[in-house]
Amino acid sequence: MITVADGLRICLQIAGLYGLYLTGVWIQTTFSLLIPGSIIGMLILLGLFATNIVKTAWVAQGVSLLLRHMPLLFLPVMAGAVTLGHVFQGSGAWLFIIVLVSTVLVMVVSGKITDVLIQRRETS
Amino acid sequence: MSIWIAVLMITGTIGLYVTGRFIYQRIPHPLTLPLVTSTFLLLSLLLLFDIPYETYMLGGQWIEILLGPAVVALAYPLFNQWHLLKQYFYPLSMGMVTGALVGIFSGYFLARLAGVDETVLFSIVPKSVTTPVAMDVAATLGGNESLAAIFVMIAGLGGVMIAQYTFRLFNIQSFIGRGIGTGTASHAIGTAKALENNEIEGAVSSIAMTVSAVIVAFFAPLIIALFH
Repeated sequence: MITVADGLRICLQIAGLYGLYLTGVWIQTTFSLLIPGSIIGMLILLGLFATNIVKTAWVAQGVSLLLRHMPLLFLPVMAGAVTLGHVFQGSGAWLFIIVLVSTVLVMVVSGKITDVLIQRRETS
Repeated sequence: MSIWIAVLMITGTIGLYVTGRFIYQRIPHPLTLPLVTSTFLLLSLLLLFDIPYETYMLGGQWIEILLGPAVVALAYPLFNQWHLLKQYFYPLSMGMVTGALVGIFSGYFLARLAGVDETVLFSIVPKSVTTPVAMDVAATLGGNESLAAIFVMIAGLGGVMIAQYTFRLFNIQSFIGRGIGTGTASHAIGTAKALENNEIEGAVSSIAMTVSAVIVAFFAPLIIALFH
């Protein structure tokens, strides 16, 4: 059961994550970087964890709520597909195949390289 | 008036998501994931009631706003798996970097070969990484965010459904190799599946999903600037 105190804590934690996101966006625009602000914010938080400035427990509940229900957060973006029907007419099947082929290539190459390197290390 | 529309759209979206989770509990399959069923229901309702995208977004924007902090939150699982990344740094980073680059190049050149227009092309390039990052990368390149999200979903679902055959066919046996494969190619959907298979596979996949997102965010704009 989530208590009022839990709810407040989760809101504060998500507000903190949002603050880091805004910091990342600010850094991106100020230095006109091509890396998304969200990724910069993520790297900042990683740095704060690594230097022990921020303890993981301080954001744990907010993080777990956001990550567990991430599919909900995607729905508004997916709704944008109502305006995209024309893209999938005609060449739609090709797009599907391209994405699948590329996905298999990524899976095989990354998985195989890691697999081979791990086995080489364990036999040596 | 518009505030009531916003509230209605927000509660409606949450309601559809809850329905999607309920369906998945009853019939667990990659194609019944809440992302798939609730997206399908949402699009059907928008078309059925002829609700314009702009009207929906009066509420939708307040949900979408949480995507930024959700990406920041990925630092948490990555930090928790830091010991694994350190222990296997060379095999993991080689797999993730090569995989991320293969994803960018193969998506780009296959799409060019098919002769799709630029918006579609730039939306395909980041399809291997988690949705919010793929959206940002697509926007930076000049693609379309919603289109990118659809390609990400196809990469996730397709990858999960063919992963076991792919690993068998190419004789990828270690949990760590499999984790890197699923995480780099199929982001969060792959990671959820990897977690079901094996704890190590899931942990490695969660590393791969976050690190490959960072790699793609760094390299996709550079590669497109060089080759396009």
